[in-house]
Amino acid sequence: MTGHLPILEIKNLSKSYGAVKAVNDVSIHVDRGEITGLIGPNGSGKSTFFDCSTGLARPDTGKIVLDGQDITGWSLNRIAREGRMLRSFQKTVTFKALDVEENLVIAGQMFTFPSIATTFGLGKMSRQRIQGLRERARDLIKMAGLWDVRHQPAGNLSGGQQKLIQFASMLMPEPKLILLDEPMAGINPKIIERVVDTILYANKSLGVSFLVIEHNIDVVTSICQRVIVLDQGAKLVEGLPQDIIQDRRVREAYLGG
Amino acid sequence: MSLTETAQQARRRDYRIPLAAVLVVVALAAPFIGSRYVTHSLIIALIFMLPAHGLNLLVGYTGLLSLAQAAFFGIGAYTAGLLAVTYGTSFYVNLIASGLVTGAIALPLGIPALRLRSTSFVMCTLGFVIIGQAISKNWISLTRGDMGLSGIPKPYFELGPLSFTLSGTTNFYYLALIIGAMATLAAWAIVRSPAGRNMVAIRENEILAESLGVPTWHYKLIVFMISAVFAGVGGCLYAYYLSVVSPLTFQMYYSTTMLIIVLGGGAGMISGTVFGSLLFVGLTEALRITPELRMIAYGLCLLILVFWFKNGFAPLINRFWNAIGGAR
Repeated sequence: MTGHLPILEIKNLSKSYGAVKAVNDVSIHVDRGEITGLIGPNGSGKSTFFDCSTGLARPDTGKIVLDGQDITGWSLNRIAREGRMLRSFQKTVTFKALDVEENLVIAGQMFTFPSIATTFGLGKMSRQRIQGLRERARDLIKMAGLWDVRHQPAGNLSGGQQKLIQFASMLMPEPKLILLDEPMAGINPKIIERVVDTILYANKSLGVSFLVIEHNIDVVTSICQRVIVLDQGAKLVEGLPQDIIQDRRVREAYLGG
Repeated sequence: MSLTETAQQARRRDYRIPLAAVLVVVALAAPFIGSRYVTHSLIIALIFMLPAHGLNLLVGYTGLLSLAQAAFFGIGAYTAGLLAVTYGTSFYVNLIASGLVTGAIALPLGIPALRLRSTSFVMCTLGFVIIGQAISKNWISLTRGDMGLSGIPKPYFELGPLSFTLSGTTNFYYLALIIGAMATLAAWAIVRSPAGRNMVAIRENEILAESLGVPTWHYKLIVFMISAVFAGVGGCLYAYYLSVVSPLTFQMYYSTTMLIIVLGGGAGMISGTVFGSLLFVGLTEALRITPELRMIAYGLCLLILVFWFKNGFAPLINRFWNAIGGAR
């Protein structure tokens, strides 16, 4: 049984760029079914930490264990495909020329087709798989409130709507864990509510665990069960959200004191 | 709203099927409608359509700009030429061999080349053409150097006890037409498959595709090899049609012609490549009648293209196609 093990455990992760230690010996874990927050002032190494954990960048040292499996050194696509750990990007990205539905179908493809070779098929099996993905995509589009714009190119939609597309895309493959890099950045309050609802829905109903980098402290305190604070590449403190915002060290780190 | 739509559609007639039928008839009857020279131009257009389809998969769908098509075109031509001259094997055997050999050579070339980013990749693929030409010029024991391989026989078919030789421009036209149609169908099948969707995802945003589990590196390598197979098959046809292969087959001019076909026709559209090869190759061939004005006219066409049809002609064709289909 792996039930009591954390879904994600990262041990002693370090990453330097030249002389700069962007991430310095950080160890964290995310419990199963938990929404964990990762906060810290700008330049504290949050995004580098994300990139190293998801295979986008190679950490200098450290071990990454996902659901009991050592995934250290895996590529970004393999971590997503085999590990079912997905991530978003700080700068919202979608396949801009493709419509909303196609965006989601692409997101599900590699999880539905057993191999690269089978993706070249046009037979009945292949059509059925795509049909299944389309139906799932439509459900998620409805949930994300994008039904009316589902046939529009993603690039034509607002930043907030594209954020929702990105979010819905990550739910296509039935993920175990999602890493969100500033999901609320640069979107209007109305959409913030919607994104919060979607995160909570995915967490409660679909059982997805989350690790969320977020600057909006209200959002962090309302959705996270536990918060980890990074400062200057190292872990400063971790604990319950209400304790963290009271913590003197955290305040000093943010105020630069 | 749907009611008015159906009413409008009912009022308008769908002319697509009749037009498609007319195009098929024209394609089949072309050697009898036009002069021998027109037939020749069409054959060249059909031959160049093959590497162009491959390039379209790479440039138009996967977003990788490559100039290596002429190298693979040349490799295919030499493979077919050598087999036909040395072993006298059947046409279809050589055709398949050209495709397979070219695809196999694309693997070791693609592995280092695709690790390079954008411009470096383009320069690297340009290098393949130059290296191909150098090898074909200097490996004299195999390629006969600058003299080239001459005396490639007419397409010879052997199926069990049956055998026949295909001769004459008209017959060659039908051969090229069949192979061209099959290649178009193959390209269409690839882009319509889920893999085609992944290719577009890589073109649109490689990192995003990667983050959604798409093994982008494998796809790029596979598409690079497929594009080489298309070019190799085209090279085989070219060798048979000219009955000579020389180091001139490895020409930068061919790579740029193929690129003009794809971009001018409309990158990322199969119909664009078909139209592009007819227009640009057919045009250059047809303009040979006025050698003095040929390059000027060609250049003028390119200028018009760059200024007025930035996405190539395919969007125009699509709009026309939808218009005659009764859609608004």
